[in-house]
Amino acid sequence: MLNRAISSYSAMFPKEYTELRVQENRSNGVALLNGDVVSNGRSAASGVSARIFKDGQWGFASNPNISDDAVESVIRSSTDNVRFLNKRDTSRCGIMLPETFINFEKDFTSTKQKNSQKHWIDFLKSLDDYIVSKFPKITSRTVVIRSLDMEKSLLTATGSTSYSMTPRAHLMINLSADKDGQPVELMEAHGGLGQLEDNFDNPQFYFPMIDEQVEHLLNKVDGVYAEAGEKEVILDAELAGILAHEAIGHTTEADLVMGGSVAGDYMGQKVASSLVSLIDFANNVNDITCPVPVYVDDEGTKSEDVTIIENGVLKNFMHNKDSARHFESTPTGNARAFAFSDEPLIRMRNTAIMPGNDKLEEMIASVEDGYYLMKPGNGQADSTSEFMFAVNQGYEIKNGKLGKALMDTTISGVAFDMLKTVDMVSDDMTWVSSGMCGKKQPMPVGMGGPAIRCKVNIGGR
Amino acid sequence: MNSQDAVEYIIETLKKRGAEKVQCSVMDSEKKELNIDAGEMSLFRTTFNSGVGFTIYKDNCKGSTSINKLDKDSIDGAIEDVIELADSSEPDEAYDIADYQAPKSFSTGNSVANMDSMYDRLSEFSDHTKSTYPKVILEQAIIDFTYRKGIFANSNGVQFGLEKGMYNFSPMFTSKDGVKTSSFNYTGFSAKDLHKPLKDYGSIDRLLKESEEQVVSHQVPGKFNGQIIVTPDCLDDFVSTVMDFVTDIPLISGRSVYKDKLNESIADSRFTMHSKPRSDELQSNYFITGDGYESQDCTLIENGILKTFLLGIYGANKTGLSRSVNDGGAHIVDSGNVAFNDLVKSMKKGVILSRFSGGNPSDNGDFSGVAKNSYYVENGEVKFPISETMISGNICSMMNNIVDISKERINFGDCIYPWIQFDGLTIS
Repeated sequence: MLNRAISSYSAMFPKEYTELRVQENRSNGVALLNGDVVSNGRSAASGVSARIFKDGQWGFASNPNISDDAVESVIRSSTDNVRFLNKRDTSRCGIMLPETFINFEKDFTSTKQKNSQKHWIDFLKSLDDYIVSKFPKITSRTVVIRSLDMEKSLLTATGSTSYSMTPRAHLMINLSADKDGQPVELMEAHGGLGQLEDNFDNPQFYFPMIDEQVEHLLNKVDGVYAEAGEKEVILDAELAGILAHEAIGHTTEADLVMGGSVAGDYMGQKVASSLVSLIDFANNVNDITCPVPVYVDDEGTKSEDVTIIENGVLKNFMHNKDSARHFESTPTGNARAFAFSDEPLIRMRNTAIMPGNDKLEEMIASVEDGYYLMKPGNGQADSTSEFMFAVNQGYEIKNGKLGKALMDTTISGVAFDMLKTVDMVSDDMTWVSSGMCGKKQPMPVGMGGPAIRCKVNIGGR
Repeated sequence: MNSQDAVEYIIETLKKRGAEKVQCSVMDSEKKELNIDAGEMSLFRTTFNSGVGFTIYKDNCKGSTSINKLDKDSIDGAIEDVIELADSSEPDEAYDIADYQAPKSFSTGNSVANMDSMYDRLSEFSDHTKSTYPKVILEQAIIDFTYRKGIFANSNGVQFGLEKGMYNFSPMFTSKDGVKTSSFNYTGFSAKDLHKPLKDYGSIDRLLKESEEQVVSHQVPGKFNGQIIVTPDCLDDFVSTVMDFVTDIPLISGRSVYKDKLNESIADSRFTMHSKPRSDELQSNYFITGDGYESQDCTLIENGILKTFLLGIYGANKTGLSRSVNDGGAHIVDSGNVAFNDLVKSMKKGVILSRFSGGNPSDNGDFSGVAKNSYYVENGEVKFPISETMISGNICSMMNNIVDISKERINFGDCIYPWIQFDGLTIS
């Protein structure tokens, strides 16, 4: 547990705008490969950092020790660093940041009794034993459980203070079966906000989900390659979520807009069908906590929801203090740092397309010749909003009915064009949060959405 | 504690607590980093860190932990933690640590950053980009100097000292001409010093020039089966995937498509790739494997023949195969005999693939993804930069369908790659 009370260090701050952060990240993980424990470890990394802004430039320093001496050291070093830059470049002299003020604490530490590592190994073995006993066609199994706790205390020169402990925990099951002597695999992730004890209890709870995963995998073994080219598709919630994050979200992070993203040219313009609204939620939707809740960002700004697209029109970018100054806007609380030694960057929190009024079954029934795409693999996007997502689970749709399963494929498109083809949006919403977003630093993020009907390019043969 | 005291204390304490085998590393690091964001010098970052990591095998049960503190209380806490982990686990006789090797120290690069040189080189690069390529926006350009010093040791008496100081540079950029926007692109290099302008390392200047050309792009004319020339910047995506197939997990699980291919052909006979973590050809070296053996150079694929799997101790014991002499990477692909321009001239219809935004390949080698920062070629002529173009194929088939390999290569500091022309891809 970190010391939440770091306010007394404000006496050490120089006259320039200063942030001081004390942080610890703790992780735990176990992996079974075909029943053998191949990974069983914990890690913890903590320390203190200071960041100082003067004349449009930042100095930053961090130290793994958490002590009065270390605090003094990082403040001195970050001061030296910003002075080094200021001395050589005076072109941004006089630039000031917008000021924010908030005091807030949020602790998601589990109230349940902490389980031993043996408990979690036994938990995984129960799942593995179930797979072995029930599914002889499964040729390889990887079962992984892992958790990450991020605990932070922040103090800024404008008087903001915050403390947060934000954990997440996930269970990953990756199964393989043979197709003509070659492996076909399918991975499923479970879990989200909370520590292991909050997310996982009785292994039997997951047996029906394993049954469903195996059914999809065996369908995939008998699957077909998608036909390459532009197709009408139903993107299920997880793919709509990754689309919201990768293809739209990144292009509307204000630092990437300053770096040349096409979104900079589209503000106030129609960039999607009127059915599409897209929001980066700070911490809750209709009073339900999001998978990665952020209440105060790492610059001491209250985190606010950012409506990026409203009824098809591009409305807002996500900001930190410096980009808000640049765009004459307001900081939105999107500045987040992964480790104690990282500086805050503009990052998404929980990015989602909002639900519509259609039923998924009716959407599938409406497609004459296309695909129902269910599970994403990795995804990437571009400053042009051109995106690529791997699709690891999907089915043909022929005359409104699901057909054969698909082998692994990839979809692509230009998001600001593709979103104009959205003509149906389902009335439900699903969040996923097992992945890490990569942008200089890794970062836990939530992605969510309904199913959408649209046209995309699909890779295949 | 200092590093030496910490290593000795950890190993001795854990042996007294019943661990039969212990391996431990203690590493201190200092990083100096300058950042350009959206074309402006924005951040100077200094980070200090310590890394203490150890793995034990107790009654053939494994536990691992890592912390970033060197004080006795923190280390004692981590020792209790790792014993609980091992006591909780399941035995596996395949676990082991490296055999005894004579103590040795390894060192490369400087121990102190030249901050003036770092600033001046980065500033010079920014000025060059603005003046020579006015359409280019440096989204982010990061130069850092990272110095690491520490010890790796184990309970078999292995004791290696490590000291490494290296500059790393990674620019990311997009070009804009009015509302016309290119795909972003990026590259990078590692070097022991900064004796020449940053634009002259690796492929940086060529990629900046190409970025400006790419503000106007077109789709390829329909779907076709054709060839691709994979550039040195993009080749790592493909050859590293091939080598990932022969690492511990795919081979232990039996999922690897190459599980029965040791000393058999998996690529065209003109393809040879080495892994040389100790080579003077590369600026960035590594000296010991993750398991604690002194790393050695080796040939991974020789004239198309797979010469080694990349197995650690556990993977080797689990499969009954040989441990590899390094952890892979540090790739050096032998050059061919054809000039890059002649590769292009020989291509009837295809794509010069400079960046590949693709899904992780399936276990069977199938892949598909989008060609980025790439060019359409027809009848031996580069026609135009492309967008919204997908490339699909199978990596295993692709390695057997090499048309030719360029005689030019790019040295990125941690790998050396030529241009390679492949046949049999679906382009749409």
